[in-house]
Amino acid sequence: MPVVELAGVTKAYESKVAVRDLSLSIEAGQMFGLLGPNGAGKTSSIRMMMGMTMPDSGTVKLFEKPFERSNLDRVGYLPEERGLYKKMKVLEQLVFFGQLHGLSAGDAERKATAWAKRLDIDEALPKKTEELSKGMQQKIQFIGSLLHDPGLIVMDEPFSGLDPVNAKLLEQTLLELKDEGRAIVFSTHRMDQVEKLCDSICLINKGQAVLSGRVREIKSRYERNHVIVEFDGSADFLASSEIAEAQNYSGHAEIKLKPHGDAQKLLREASEKAKIYRFEMVEPSLEEIFIQTVGESVDA
Amino acid sequence: MRNVLLVAKREYLEQVRGRAFKMTTFGVPLIFAAILGIAFMSSRGLGSGKHLAVASNDALLAAEIKGQLVGNKDTKTKVDVVSPATPGDRDTLVDEVKTKKIEGFLWVETLQGKPAKATYTSQSSGDFITGARMREAVNHALLDARLQSGGLQHQAAEDLVKGIPVETFQVKKDGAVVKSNATASFWKGYVMAILLSMTTMVYGMNVARSVIQEKTSRIFEVMLSIAKPADMLAGKLIGVGAVGLTQIGIWLVAGAIILGTPFAATILSGDYAVHVSALETVLFPVYFLLGYLLYSSRFAGLAATCETEQELQMYMPLAAVPVWLSFSLIMVVMNDSNSAWAVGGSLFPPTAPIIMFLRMASQVPPAWQFAVSIGLLVLSIVSVLWVSAKLYRVGILMYGKRATLPELMRWLRYS
Repeated sequence: MPVVELAGVTKAYESKVAVRDLSLSIEAGQMFGLLGPNGAGKTSSIRMMMGMTMPDSGTVKLFEKPFERSNLDRVGYLPEERGLYKKMKVLEQLVFFGQLHGLSAGDAERKATAWAKRLDIDEALPKKTEELSKGMQQKIQFIGSLLHDPGLIVMDEPFSGLDPVNAKLLEQTLLELKDEGRAIVFSTHRMDQVEKLCDSICLINKGQAVLSGRVREIKSRYERNHVIVEFDGSADFLASSEIAEAQNYSGHAEIKLKPHGDAQKLLREASEKAKIYRFEMVEPSLEEIFIQTVGESVDA
Repeated sequence: MRNVLLVAKREYLEQVRGRAFKMTTFGVPLIFAAILGIAFMSSRGLGSGKHLAVASNDALLAAEIKGQLVGNKDTKTKVDVVSPATPGDRDTLVDEVKTKKIEGFLWVETLQGKPAKATYTSQSSGDFITGARMREAVNHALLDARLQSGGLQHQAAEDLVKGIPVETFQVKKDGAVVKSNATASFWKGYVMAILLSMTTMVYGMNVARSVIQEKTSRIFEVMLSIAKPADMLAGKLIGVGAVGLTQIGIWLVAGAIILGTPFAATILSGDYAVHVSALETVLFPVYFLLGYLLYSSRFAGLAATCETEQELQMYMPLAAVPVWLSFSLIMVVMNDSNSAWAVGGSLFPPTAPIIMFLRMASQVPPAWQFAVSIGLLVLSIVSVLWVSAKLYRVGILMYGKRATLPELMRWLRYS
């Protein structure tokens, strides 16, 4: 059952069209990545899902019903612009958010404390928000969006500003939430995370969806003409006539072959010049697909 | 409604726990008590306890002046009489002032056929209180002396020059004639109007500041995913208004305690004998709430269109316009509380709270005027709130650039 459904949604601000004829559908238990360069229309799309702005045309459905504010009680939202009440104590603030979502003060406090322990930030609960680092504030805000056990979690750039340890913790938590059957939508620029976490993506550029579908299916559309080589010795083989592009990172080379380029010939050339530890044909990364697709849509 | 109350509670607790609230809530009554205390202490010794000299060629006049100066209740002032005085005595007295043996001397010359001439020489040029006492004593003594020289007995002359106080009475609506005090009424109206304008402005601006702080801290986007903009605005207005009422309540209790002390009773007597009626006690919070809601709803919408607190500050002079307008009418209203200006000002919503209180100080206006005044205020609040809510709804999500007038008009259409 689709938890979120956007059908032919368009939103314009004065003369600028922020989102044009966007359609997407997100199922329960699915992690969905909303990708796109800066100003592509990701935040505008998310704001329409959250009912903060209304589409000029098209429909937004949450939990299979046309948008209603009452449905937001089943949605957890982490906006791109982080904001908390700076003078409030963290626990008080979380209880306040929980109560606004319909929880009793006692339930909100119990859940806030449990989540804070789970995310290893319980020592921050008695402190004022202004005493916390940005990363800690982000974790608190993340907890605030989950207190009411939402069926849909919408996050705008959830990993920005997090150190690797906390980013890993967030990734792990999102995977657990997905396993519990919740639908998760997030926007990001971090392709490695999308590749690891998302089941489906929608790539938006200039307000339009230029690529969408399941990650596996999208990647399989692209030719397996990328090679990773780990080697010791001369890198002269990277000048081979079989190669279209190559990046050499001190013994680790990422290579894109020319159309119909011969990988076996390249392997022979490489082994003549250097000692080869790894030679692997791989699919293009999502990052490469992203750059290629956005580049094509710009050219078009 | 639950969310409105939750937002109001959060707003209330945050402001009440703040340092500014504690300082003003407890500081204002303390300052008020301190002012009364200082006034009480200083009034007891004002212009008295000095060592002065009166010198004149007319010994009788000098004695009369001394009598005036040390008479009444002032037993602390010591007055030396030098009479008949010579130019040499004047030099001696100047020396005594210089060596601080005396604080000043009054030199009075009366020459046949010419007006009397009096000078007061002292260490301090700014001692206007003693100067005034001197003037009063000299004039009184001279008039007394002239009347006596015209054949009147001392007591008859005294009775003649004694001032006659004019008591004022007011005819109430029920026909009862009651004693009144115009000066006390003026001060009461003035103080209540200042309190009303101050609290209305302060709490109205608090709402605006709270809006802009939430906008700059980007909390709005989180809040909008949980609560409706109208609930957020209503909660904010109720929460901050409740803070204002709490503060006024504490001030009223503290004021009653302070006014109950003996030293306050001494100071606030005669022309300063303030009596606050039951009607005024009831209407003060009513007009505070209405004035506050009109003011704060206007500024909540305006704050949502601003980017920074500094930008909001630029609108402050606009905020004070109704207050300036109200106070510019103060003399007109106090002179005739039923004049067209006074009635118009008390019905015109932006000035109604202040002008109505100024009018009430001298005469209670007819009931229908209260009804119209409150009705118009409520209508204005509803209209302003309607526009502000629209600006608020769009403005809180607009970052990055200052909104122009055409953009504001578009915002009104969007929402």
